[in-house]
Amino acid sequence: MSGFLGSTVGKKYLMGISGLVWAGFVLAHMAGNLLIFVSHDAYNAYGHALTSGNIIYVAEAVLILALITHVYTAVSLTAANKSAKPTKYAVAASGKKKVTLASRTMAIQGSLILVFVILHLITFKYGTHYETTVNGVVMRDLAKLMEEVFQSVGYVAWYVVALLLLGFHLSHGVGSSFQSLGLMEGTYRNLWKKLSYAYAFVVALGFIAQPLYLFMFAH
Amino acid sequence: MSGKHINLTLKVWRQKGPKDQGGFVDLQAKNVSEDASFLEMLDAVNEELVTKGDEPIAFDHDCREGICGACGFVIDGEAHGPMKSTTVCQLHMRNFNDGAVLTIEPFRANAFPVIKDLMVDRSAFDRIISSGGFISANTGNAVDANAILVPKADADEAMSSATCIGCGACVAACKNASAALFTSAKISHMVLLPQGQVERKERATRMVAAMDAEGFGSCTTTGACEAACPKEIQLTNIARMNREFAVAAATKREKHGDGGAG
Amino acid sequence: MANKLDSKIPSGPIESKWTKAKFENKLVNPANKRKHSIIVVGTGLAGASAAASLGELGYKVKAFCVHESPRRAHSVAAQGGINAAKNYQNDGDSTYRLFYDTVKGGDFRAREANVFRLAEVSANIIDQMVAQGVPFAREYGGTLANRSFGGAQVSRTFYARGQTGQQLLLGAYSEMMRQVDAGNVELRYRREMLDVVVIDGKARGIIVRNLLTGEIESHEADAVVIASGGYSNVFFLSTNAMNCAVTAAWKAHKRGAYFANPCYTQIHPTCIPVHGENQSKLTLMSESLRNDGRVWVPKAAGDKRHPNDIPENERDYYLERVYPSFGNLAPRDVASRQAKYRCDEGRGVNESGKAVYLDFADSIKRLGEDKISERYGNLFEMYDKITGQNPYKQPMMIYPAPHYTMGGLWVDYNLESTIPGLFVAGEANFSDHGANRLGASALMQGLADGYFVLPFTLGNYLGGTKLEKVSTTHDAFKAAADGVKGEISKLMNIKGNRTVDSFHKELGNVMWEYCGMGRNEAGLKKALAAIPKIKEEFWQNVRIPGDANYLNVELEKAGRVADFIELGELMCRDALERQESCGGHFREEYQVDGEAKRDDTNFCHVAAWEYTGDNKPATRHKEELTFDNVHLATRSYK
Repeated sequence: MSGFLGSTVGKKYLMGISGLVWAGFVLAHMAGNLLIFVSHDAYNAYGHALTSGNIIYVAEAVLILALITHVYTAVSLTAANKSAKPTKYAVAASGKKKVTLASRTMAIQGSLILVFVILHLITFKYGTHYETTVNGVVMRDLAKLMEEVFQSVGYVAWYVVALLLLGFHLSHGVGSSFQSLGLMEGTYRNLWKKLSYAYAFVVALGFIAQPLYLFMFAH
Repeated sequence: MSGKHINLTLKVWRQKGPKDQGGFVDLQAKNVSEDASFLEMLDAVNEELVTKGDEPIAFDHDCREGICGACGFVIDGEAHGPMKSTTVCQLHMRNFNDGAVLTIEPFRANAFPVIKDLMVDRSAFDRIISSGGFISANTGNAVDANAILVPKADADEAMSSATCIGCGACVAACKNASAALFTSAKISHMVLLPQGQVERKERATRMVAAMDAEGFGSCTTTGACEAACPKEIQLTNIARMNREFAVAAATKREKHGDGGAG
Repeated sequence: MANKLDSKIPSGPIESKWTKAKFENKLVNPANKRKHSIIVVGTGLAGASAAASLGELGYKVKAFCVHESPRRAHSVAAQGGINAAKNYQNDGDSTYRLFYDTVKGGDFRAREANVFRLAEVSANIIDQMVAQGVPFAREYGGTLANRSFGGAQVSRTFYARGQTGQQLLLGAYSEMMRQVDAGNVELRYRREMLDVVVIDGKARGIIVRNLLTGEIESHEADAVVIASGGYSNVFFLSTNAMNCAVTAAWKAHKRGAYFANPCYTQIHPTCIPVHGENQSKLTLMSESLRNDGRVWVPKAAGDKRHPNDIPENERDYYLERVYPSFGNLAPRDVASRQAKYRCDEGRGVNESGKAVYLDFADSIKRLGEDKISERYGNLFEMYDKITGQNPYKQPMMIYPAPHYTMGGLWVDYNLESTIPGLFVAGEANFSDHGANRLGASALMQGLADGYFVLPFTLGNYLGGTKLEKVSTTHDAFKAAADGVKGEISKLMNIKGNRTVDSFHKELGNVMWEYCGMGRNEAGLKKALAAIPKIKEEFWQNVRIPGDANYLNVELEKAGRVADFIELGELMCRDALERQESCGGHFREEYQVDGEAKRDDTNFCHVAAWEYTGDNKPATRHKEELTFDNVHLATRSYK
């Protein structure tokens, strides 16, 4: 398999699969987040349930592995791509042969998203530990922390920007993963593409709704 | 056939040889017929250069019918210029405005070193083909042509992939200088046909390895290649190549010795 | 000297000549094959297929290609298709019928035995190309599709959309690249052959110029194959690619290979008309368009109305009028000449008056735009791109243009020239098409020569010839290389005032005017007076900027134009001496009602020209043609 993994196509497989793992995760994360619109208790209970079993360690291990894979293949392929094309054109394509911004700037988007993910973990996973009691169970009050964090205009703005970027990244990335895995073929090619856009839109919107809601309505 | 004429300013990449420094030089193209092709416009500029004792702008070209794949350079950041599905030899001047300033430079890719001016070395493509872009059929071995039935839909799709002219615009347009569209078009052409089945795994494995060895980048699905392709070769070919390559890697057989005949 | 033109046609009935020859050929032991080296110059259909097959057999092949890749060869541009006597359509086709049609189509100026062999192997070619994965058009049942083409009354043409040449070339190219990978073929790119080296009377190598570095290289071999294509670019404007040249063939001619029937040139009737002074080449529109398009001009001379405004009864569908049974499908030479007549009558269209209409309105009405687009979509698009006019809405404009050359280096039945060990294949030889080539036969001939003829006949030569070992240090190589270097420095040192293209255009105008679609004694004599003057001025006044020791496009062009000038003169002499009309050679003095009038009593022969020295008249030799199977008759398409 070393020949496979050493090849550009093999690396794209790794990148696609690891990307799809994270794409699945962010969808679930976003869906969970929507519980904030139900109630703070529901949100906290959900967070508590997720973290109380052992499954969290497995999930975290998978996500970390996927992240490392995704970042490693991205760095390695980007470096190879840069040396494959050392000279850029004096004039950038602007007519019919221009391609989408999202597809051209995946590496920059990815780097920013990585920074965001690290900061996001510091802010929430490793942030202030408030406690609350829901149905007699003592658990972490993440909702309170969120409320606090999302009072700052700067913070909300940074989140909105970062999440838009994530949506942007997914809009190209999900479809491109299917392409890399060899699934984008025949009749369903355009359907995959549309699904990928719809998915990215829903994820970005769902995520952004939360800080905006907390900023505007929770005091 | 309009009979109208226009004037243009060209910023042309001039580079004496593979090891020399290149740079843009301003040239005027005066009184260009709108019915002329882009290359005929350059011919006229060259005639003037030669008359003055200067060297003409070197560019590859041959059939001037859009089928040999020899021509190709970048006009204002677009491989083969602004028109879709068109090689520069078939690009006509009626698509440009009077007074336009056009920047013309060679295809850029590490695997396509510049030879002179707008001419680049695309022999990497030949090496990719020789690594496996064929169906081994020695002369004299063939069965009757109609003994191999090919569903029309498969034959048509194989033909669509096989129309690649190997011009290299896909590599030129790609920000990664990936040769995935070129390589995958050949793999697709052959894997879609019954004749191509026997060697399909070997072919995918070897051609992808050859493509990587030449120093082309990887495909990040920007679609720039498809947009630039004068023959409308589709991205689906790349998906097919990736799958072929993965299946080949996953189902590879051990090598066995041939054994002697005694 | 006449014995030099021994055609070596095997005896016996025509059907068994090739079988007999193959059996009687000497063979080379498998273990000895790798000790023999063969040079192949040119890697189009004929060259690539020869290199591939010879490599498969185990010979050490060195292939030379003037382009940056063999896939650029001009075979790539053939649109319509390839003929083969498969009779898949059950419409009465047979090897004999293809043979008959080709001999008749060539106006009885081809060698019967060669043509029969061509028809015989035509079926193998299709099998071979299908096995290689050429995606020919298919029926829904999965079988191969056919169409009728170029004046044939059976459907025997196999095609791959409008890109048959491309697909066949890529097939042959991929097989050759397989042999490159296997180490049997060594491929040299961007090399132009500038001389053949003859030692002890046999071709033993070539001198080439590396176009990238300017280096003059010597390569030795046991035999040399020239497959360098045709010479239509002598007219400057033709449908040939820009790099098509006579140079390789001409250099061989100067070393002793006879040049046969140079005046046989094919003018293709359906090309896009000339747009202006800067035109660099002409674009062909496939002949298949005449299956559904109707050719016409206005009845009145000088009618400048838009074609759609000219009512039906004021149009002259002249091909249908003159040739009621073949109509718009009349053979190429006939259709071209008729277009010229109409334009000469002042009834031509376009601003230049040098065009006729090819109208699809009736077919669109009958079959619908969809059907027409399915058949010719890519051609219509191409026409639209070039002219800016939509052929679905108004008739196309077309005009004849030089397209193919039936003449070429003289070869015997084994494709061997008058220099032993120098073989010639494809369009570069003169062999199979007589005075006119039928549509979809060029691809067939190139592949027949490369795949099925040369592997046997070269083996026969190598197996039956005692070859001393030679190396490139031999004096003959040094002398040839010095000669090439001398000619290059002579060209570089002229430092005159005129561009290479200006000479090429001047020559082209003379050739088109006097040795084009119609020729006559007075015109040819004018041309023969004009060409030496062009030659003289060329060698005194051509300007080549830069140096010879790197890539220099003007120098490459200059060398080719110098050869075209000499060839042009020979073409005119050949046309003048051939006092008859046949196929593509139309002498206006010899006609009946506008149709070619052959003179079988005096000219039923091949004219093969021997080079006798610079500025000395070439000597004309004859190879008499006999027709034992197809009886000499007047070609009629009425």
